[in-house]
Amino acid sequence: MSAIRISIPDLLLVYALLLVPLTITAVYRLGLLKSTVVAVVRMTIQLALVGLYLGFIFERNSLILNLVWLLVMLLVANSAILRSAGLTRWPIFPMTLLGIAVATLSVLAVFVLGAVAPDPLYDARYLIPLGGMLLGNCMRGNIIALERFYSGIAENEREFLSYVFMGATTTEATRGFMRNALRAALAPTVSTMTTMGIVSLPGMMTGQILGGSDPTTAITYQLAIMVAIFTSVSLGTWLNLRLSMRWAFTDRGTLRPDLRRPSHA
Amino acid sequence: MIEYRDVSVSAGGRKILTDVTLAIATGEKAVIAGPTGAGKSALLLTLLGAYELSGGAIGFDGSPVTASRLAAVRRSVAYIGQEPVLGDGTVREAMLLPFRFAANRAATPDERHLEEVLSHLHLEPAILDRRTSVVSGGEKQRIAIARALVLGKEVFLADEITSALDTAGAEVVMDLFRRGSYTVIAVSHDPVWHQRFGTRISMEAGRILEVRR
Repeated sequence: MSAIRISIPDLLLVYALLLVPLTITAVYRLGLLKSTVVAVVRMTIQLALVGLYLGFIFERNSLILNLVWLLVMLLVANSAILRSAGLTRWPIFPMTLLGIAVATLSVLAVFVLGAVAPDPLYDARYLIPLGGMLLGNCMRGNIIALERFYSGIAENEREFLSYVFMGATTTEATRGFMRNALRAALAPTVSTMTTMGIVSLPGMMTGQILGGSDPTTAITYQLAIMVAIFTSVSLGTWLNLRLSMRWAFTDRGTLRPDLRRPSHA
Repeated sequence: MIEYRDVSVSAGGRKILTDVTLAIATGEKAVIAGPTGAGKSALLLTLLGAYELSGGAIGFDGSPVTASRLAAVRRSVAYIGQEPVLGDGTVREAMLLPFRFAANRAATPDERHLEEVLSHLHLEPAILDRRTSVVSGGEKQRIAIARALVLGKEVFLADEITSALDTAGAEVVMDLFRRGSYTVIAVSHDPVWHQRFGTRISMEAGRILEVRR
């Protein structure tokens, strides 16, 4: 059993629903009309292309191709993290790339190679979507954590410097800011886990049930992915805070003036 | 001995100190006046490494202040600003805050020592149990000074602390600063400080206009 296909005309019927948000946007002049249209068009094109590409990847199912695709996802996610967190690209890029790579690939390895163990082990049907879910969550967590951490220090410079002047190391002087950043990054996943199954049926589970899996399989996957997401978000945000800190401070212990992009400073 | 030699500092694309040359001897009491933006705070903060020098050099106790020497400078120099950072716990927690850092841990003071130092600033031992949110602005500054004394600081950079201190509090602080071997550089417009401190410096637009001793 698999899901009933949605044909292109059927999909257009669903797209017609967009008239509702577009009307609200237009009537109240939210200034979002253009960006909403662009977003919908981009989403459609991106997913159509990814659909073609995934079809290709699933069919070939080659180890090299799968790893290259994971690398592409990591590079794009890492760019988005630095851009959205308002940090300069170089030389932080390789540091945070290492952070998200370790955080997502290690957890992905336990999940796919250890728990699911498909044949072949690098089966694209498992590796790519699960890797994408971990990476997407890791990316959001990192954006929140890095933004919160560095803007927290910049906005409370008096407090930060007073610790430094009293003899604190960078690690000691930033401990409170680190706590706030990690808490902000992890809180959404914690609350998602708390309400899961009651407020909403999670996307992955819904997808599997629509795809014909029995609910028990869908639920075990969902439980496993939530734990995997939480682990990789915690590990990734912590690693990236620590790794970026190696460059983010001057040898005098102050925040580098060129760390944050001018528009965010 | 603190020595600024042709010190220039830029921050945010603006020059905040220009060719500042100034020598302050150990035990000297100096007070700086000047309009807003004259670079008074920048002069104090530069000694503690808050800014990168774009020119010149700073000497402390005979050797140049490099990034690796900053830890030693920070061990003996205290910066007391208008609003000291005391955290949101009790005064005792605020006093002990720097002793959570590895660099100070071995010197963690006992209760008797805390009370003794507080008494130098005319603060009762009972204040230790009060929350920092309920002590007055003037008391906060006296607590910050007490904390610096407990840390064994010998140089005080006091940045416009008189605005928060009442007359009695200002008297206590000034008496302490004028005593003995402490080196003090204060930013203040209070004429009393200018009368009592031996060295009077005036600044404008990032430069030193005059030093009178």
